[in-house]
Amino acid sequence: MASDKKKRRRTDSDHDGAATSLPHQKLLKPDSAILSSLKSLSAATSSSTSSTSKALTLADLSLSSTCREVIDLSLSSVQSSIESLALSITHSILSGRGFSFSVPSRSAANHLYVPELDRIVLKDKSSLRPYSSVATVRKATVTARILQLIHQLCLKNIHVTKRDLFYTDVKLFQDQTQSDSVLDDVSCILGCTRSSLNVVAAEKGVVVGRLIFSDNGDLIDCTKMGMGGKAIPPNIDRVGDMSSDALFILLVEKDAAYMRLAEDRFYNRFPCIIVTAKGQPDVATRLFLRKMKMELKLPVLALVDSDPYGLKILSVYGCGSKNMSYDSANLTTPDIKWLGIRPSDLDKYKIPEQCRLPMTEQDIKTGKDMLEEDFVKKNPGWVEELSLMVKTKQKAEIQALSSFGFQYLSEVYLPLKLQQQDWL
Amino acid sequence: MDTGGSSESPIETKKSKSKTPRKPKDSLLKQKSPAEFFAENKNIAGFDNPGKSLYTTVRELVENALDSTESISELPVLEITIEEIGKSKFNSMIGLIDRERVDEALYDDFETAKAREKRLAKEARNQEIQAKNAALGKKAKEPAAPKAMRGRGETSFYRVTCKDNGRGMPHDDIPNMFGRVLSGTKYGLKQTRGKFGLGAKMALIWSKMSTGLPIEISSSMKGQNYISLCRLDIDIHRNIPHIHIHEKRDNKERWHGAEIHVVIEGNWTTYRSKILHYMRQMAVITPYAQFLFKFVSDASDKNVTIRFARRTDIMPPVPPETKYHPSAVDLLLIKRLIAETSKQNLLQFLQHEFVNIGKSYAERLIGEMGPEFGPKMPVKSLTSQQIVRIHQLFRQAKFDDPSGNCLSPAGEYNLRLGIIKELHPDMVATYSGSAQVFEGHPFIVEAGVSVGGKDVKQGLNIFRFANRIPLLFEQGADVVTRTALKRISWNNYKINQTQDKIGVFVSIVSTKIPFKGTGKEYIGDDISEIASAVKTSIQQCCVQLKSKIMRKIQAREQQERKRNLNKYIPDATGAIYNVLKEMALTHASKRKRYKDEDAELLKKVSARLITKDTLAEKLAQHVEQVDYEMALEYATQSGVKEEPKEAIYIQSLEADKNQFIDFRSPIFVFRLFQ
Repeated sequence: MASDKKKRRRTDSDHDGAATSLPHQKLLKPDSAILSSLKSLSAATSSSTSSTSKALTLADLSLSSTCREVIDLSLSSVQSSIESLALSITHSILSGRGFSFSVPSRSAANHLYVPELDRIVLKDKSSLRPYSSVATVRKATVTARILQLIHQLCLKNIHVTKRDLFYTDVKLFQDQTQSDSVLDDVSCILGCTRSSLNVVAAEKGVVVGRLIFSDNGDLIDCTKMGMGGKAIPPNIDRVGDMSSDALFILLVEKDAAYMRLAEDRFYNRFPCIIVTAKGQPDVATRLFLRKMKMELKLPVLALVDSDPYGLKILSVYGCGSKNMSYDSANLTTPDIKWLGIRPSDLDKYKIPEQCRLPMTEQDIKTGKDMLEEDFVKKNPGWVEELSLMVKTKQKAEIQALSSFGFQYLSEVYLPLKLQQQDWL
Repeated sequence: MDTGGSSESPIETKKSKSKTPRKPKDSLLKQKSPAEFFAENKNIAGFDNPGKSLYTTVRELVENALDSTESISELPVLEITIEEIGKSKFNSMIGLIDRERVDEALYDDFETAKAREKRLAKEARNQEIQAKNAALGKKAKEPAAPKAMRGRGETSFYRVTCKDNGRGMPHDDIPNMFGRVLSGTKYGLKQTRGKFGLGAKMALIWSKMSTGLPIEISSSMKGQNYISLCRLDIDIHRNIPHIHIHEKRDNKERWHGAEIHVVIEGNWTTYRSKILHYMRQMAVITPYAQFLFKFVSDASDKNVTIRFARRTDIMPPVPPETKYHPSAVDLLLIKRLIAETSKQNLLQFLQHEFVNIGKSYAERLIGEMGPEFGPKMPVKSLTSQQIVRIHQLFRQAKFDDPSGNCLSPAGEYNLRLGIIKELHPDMVATYSGSAQVFEGHPFIVEAGVSVGGKDVKQGLNIFRFANRIPLLFEQGADVVTRTALKRISWNNYKINQTQDKIGVFVSIVSTKIPFKGTGKEYIGDDISEIASAVKTSIQQCCVQLKSKIMRKIQAREQQERKRNLNKYIPDATGAIYNVLKEMALTHASKRKRYKDEDAELLKKVSARLITKDTLAEKLAQHVEQVDYEMALEYATQSGVKEEPKEAIYIQSLEADKNQFIDFRSPIFVFRLFQ
């Protein structure tokens, strides 16, 4: 800790000397004041989560009959469910009836936002995928093939990526979106999470900051990972022993903003963990974030673009995507605070006109659609911000702050935001 | 004979040259004749450059010829010939002696020593590369043809000839019809191809500007026993014809029509495809016409002869001349109508000079105009203020929309025939909308949509017609293009916008086509009435096509169902069998995990009593059964439906051609010998 403090002091004096001209800088109180406010937030979060540590489940809401959810299954149970499926198919074929799969529907109409859980869940509608129909023959075949491949993975107890899976039979799968989508179907059929199928997505997310965890037995200190940070491991089941002295987790939408924060060692000035998935989050990052939140009990603050897509990404972290709603229980992180950049910040921080972009027709439409979404409506602050965005028809990326200097984000904007406790 | 322009202009240029440098000219009030104006602004009429001029000349002559034949309800027979004239031939035509170049460096295309060195080095390098490629056995790319060294001085000249079987022209009117810009017979309110009396005269002005040669017209009207032969050019400064020959000759063949020769500068190489497209599209929209298009040059391999045969005898009726709609007139027009009218009083004037004003309505209008107006007041005595009042009332009062009776659309039948004839599509649908109104002018939109065909490229192929002329230029901004691209969701009609070969034909006819820009090139996208009419017409066609396409897809599914289902059998059974095999292995290794029935099954797998082939066989049987059931269901549902029969058009017998007769259809030809 001592060395950390020294480091921080140094950065403090640096920025006092070098960048006195940055706007709004005078409003900044000394870091100690900001830190104390953060500590209170952190304490509040950990106490609130510990008091309601027992998370609600579908069963608690007596929705388990109408909604579908998957669980983590062991390899052997995945194997045995595939085998019993294969046996029933064989019996069906031998008796001359062909075969068909009953696949839970993952279409938009089959989703439900449950406010009590604050996430999207899958309803119980399923569709039949018979082999003997021209419309579904391909998909039925692909499903059978994927099941067989997963069965092999179970026997050999290894992990492969989605890309690997696709390349085992390129001729049949034709393109990766098809095999990926059937893989999600298979998860639903078997009623297990995708990670239990031993298929992982290529790593995309990175983490840096005050976090120590073990990955497959190796201890990783995320303050000593250089500028790029540690890639978030795709197999969450091999991650453990998380410990941290951070006060909050900072979720960043963009790689560029992440780089700036990592290079400025923002996490040393304000002890935090910085995570990004470089755009739309992948499963591994979402799982990792949830694990951090659950184990470390830290507040999560999000830094996203001020446009409808920024909010959309926030929603995926918060209440899940429709594509993966069957596993929303494991993938979502409750209680994410929207720190910035919010539409109201554009005027508050006097972001110059040339850095704001006009919203396109499509943007405005997306914004209006999102105003109707439940996960936005539950938070009046968000509704207000989004309405402001749709009204002004202006959007801005995180990089717009660079107009005041490249380090404005880490030197002024974020500290000021934290000081004012300006999150929703 | 060529005294008109060439002798005058040098004098004038000499004058201006000698005067201008000495003292700045006072701004003299000058007047310009219409001919002068158009000579200076020839791009307005589509004579932007030699290539386009050649195209526009052909187009103006063809359109005039069609208007002429249709006006006497004669089936058009047109012969268009473009004859390339080499420079020396041209020089001999105008009596100029060919001169060899003496000072080579004077010319633009002179190759300096340095340039030659560079060129030779490049050629040597190319050859080297080619030799290397050839040695490696690579497929050598065709060496880029050396660019024809053609300087600016070496332009090509063309004699454009257009012969028709139309009305012909009265002997005495011919000089004015060709030698006076903005004089014409089509000025009335009527649907015609030409409008301004500009086309043929512009060709003449262009020929005078580029070659100095006169235009030659021979013409005869029905029942005349002579042919008028007239050779003339135009006095641009005075806008009057300058007649060389104007005489009557014998008409032994009882021919009627007109034949026009004009020699102009042009560029066939760059505008070849445009001209051919124009002819092809003209053939689409006028399938009742017969065109013979010929391009003749010294190099015989460049020659083109295309005959667009007639496919129907049914012609759209001659569009009648109509009267103005009250909401389409302006002050000037009212004054002109008053000056021209034969009616005495205001009531009769209103009643007879406009459409959609009946007697009682005219009386009501006059009552509304004010106390100083009366039905019996002489129309010629109206003051300017009173005319303004009438105009205001016309603007504000409500009138019935003009009817489309004065329009002569190509007709769905002709449009359809034209599309089938030129594109040979797999499917075609046509639609003819009812008349609608834009600013007091009625218009009718007809559309055809075709799918498939030969010589059609993938994606949208748009063919636009206005008053039955094809529009080829400025496609991007046109209302039809924009509608087809942006406002039609082709997917809804099971048409793939990028993959399918879609032909979109839209023909708009009106007494006044609201062309945008200077030439008759495109119709703007800002007129909502036309835009929505175009959209509905195309949509109507698509709706017709959709059911056909659906039926086709269904039929194809029927045929391919069994094949598609069988295709995946090896993959599916292979996958399942592999799982079974692994299970059988673990089962054999005595980890007893399966129940009786399943254990039995796995035993059979181990004993190879059940193999992959067993599964495949069983699945194939199932597919067979399902296919049979579905085929039965399809047959009972759809019944025995026959495709609508397409009529075959049989060419009419021609008296002089008595060796054999062709019976044509898209599939075969019967040849009947006599």
